[in-house]
Amino acid sequence: MEPDYEEDDDHVYINEETELGRENVVISHAPRARIVPPLNFCPVERYLYRSGQPSTVNFPFLLDLKLKTIIWLANEEPQDALLEFCDAHAIQLQFATINPDGGEDDNPWDGLTEHSIISALRTIVNVESYPLLVCCGMGRHRTGTVIGCLRRIMGWNLASVSEEYRRFTGSRGGRILVELLIEAFDTQLVEIDRAKAPQWLLTAV
Amino acid sequence: MEATGERHKVKWFNGGMVQRMEDRLRDILERDSNNLLRLLKSEDEELELKFGLDTGAYDLHRMIDEDAGMKMRVEEIIKRFYIDAVPGISNREAQREKEVTGQKNTEKLEEDVDDVYDAEEHRGKSDAIRQETCEEEVIPPENFSHVVGEIYRSSFPRPENFSFLQQRIKLKSIMVLIPEEYPQENLEFMARAGIKLFQFGMSGNKEPFVNIPSDLLTSALEVAINPENHPVLIHCNRGKHRTGCLVGCIRRLQNWSLTMIFDEYRRFAFPKARALDQQFIEMYDEDKIKRIAQEKQWLPIQW
Repeated sequence: MEPDYEEDDDHVYINEETELGRENVVISHAPRARIVPPLNFCPVERYLYRSGQPSTVNFPFLLDLKLKTIIWLANEEPQDALLEFCDAHAIQLQFATINPDGGEDDNPWDGLTEHSIISALRTIVNVESYPLLVCCGMGRHRTGTVIGCLRRIMGWNLASVSEEYRRFTGSRGGRILVELLIEAFDTQLVEIDRAKAPQWLLTAV
Repeated sequence: MEATGERHKVKWFNGGMVQRMEDRLRDILERDSNNLLRLLKSEDEELELKFGLDTGAYDLHRMIDEDAGMKMRVEEIIKRFYIDAVPGISNREAQREKEVTGQKNTEKLEEDVDDVYDAEEHRGKSDAIRQETCEEEVIPPENFSHVVGEIYRSSFPRPENFSFLQQRIKLKSIMVLIPEEYPQENLEFMARAGIKLFQFGMSGNKEPFVNIPSDLLTSALEVAINPENHPVLIHCNRGKHRTGCLVGCIRRLQNWSLTMIFDEYRRFAFPKARALDQQFIEMYDEDKIKRIAQEKQWLPIQW
């Protein structure tokens, strides 16, 4: 269970308090007191979760979820801490690049392209990637777009999809463009292999 | 109906635009058949826009309704694509029929409505077709969400949500947190679907000194986290306050930090978050329920 850590001073799992002493302390399990889910965290379906970008305080919580895959919806890389966390715990980190030609020139206001939505959804409809977390910077619009399109595949009526999307968008509210994208999304574009689909999806398609 | 002006429009429309209208309808059916039925049920303006007529002057529903010939032709076209709109033909057959239509497309459109559909021929294909996205829309209740494992939350479920709860979530129990009598139609649905009802009447943390009794919450939690009752739906009226308090206490059993519990509470209670509810979540004495849950080995609650 104990992963292999190098004696590296800027290792992300350093316990701030003991850093001055000698040993780096690796947090490998949730502290007894309180655990902290990532911003905007919520279960979507069984073993499928959504959130904003997890940071080090959330790692013990993520371990509880026994994640196998994290879908990261942005052009830029997530924080190093998250990359190393995924490495250490053999979590597959999938990038659903927003704009493949944009390089690092990522504008957080850019919505997702159909291509990136489909690539994320292909992973989501495959039970082999579960337990699975879908996240972006704040867990609002990009995550909301992908989950919204998933709800369309599941045959949810649009009002419920929109209500769910807006629940996570915070005080500034939802973006019409995101909702238009969800409404116009062609659900036929995501092929579902029944042999590999999660249980809850089987009853929905 | 009584206005002659309306009649006038209809006449003019029939004279000049029937062909165009039918062409558009066919066009939309081919490109966008999934949406047509919904569109026909929706607002007139939207429908009109879809037909590329953004004058606001035509009441397309009425035009179609009032002209028997037109109505028949439109219905005929719709039937080609929406067999499920015709009583007595199942959804899956509709899917198959749809595929046939796709193959034969135009020639099929010219055929008679009464043509018998050969079920045998297409049975073999049904598996592949069932993989396609469903045609039937489901309606989850407002404020519906997963909580953890097979625990769900929502506002008061209404008849339009029943099929979602029965077929998609496959509920075993419903826990209601209001003191009022449960509606007859909901009870009937639950009897039909074999869903058990647990009622814990709470009055909510509206005013200072009017609090949810902790004991009541403890017994509610005992039912909610008991795997024997799962999948369970917890609801009150709007799924905001009482449900939020109960879910907040479930989060405490999961050892969530209070900040994130409050954040979740506010997300579902928006825009009507109550400080007293958050206070209640913080002050709830979890010792008793923790002891019970540990004895029965319900902790940690499985994701």
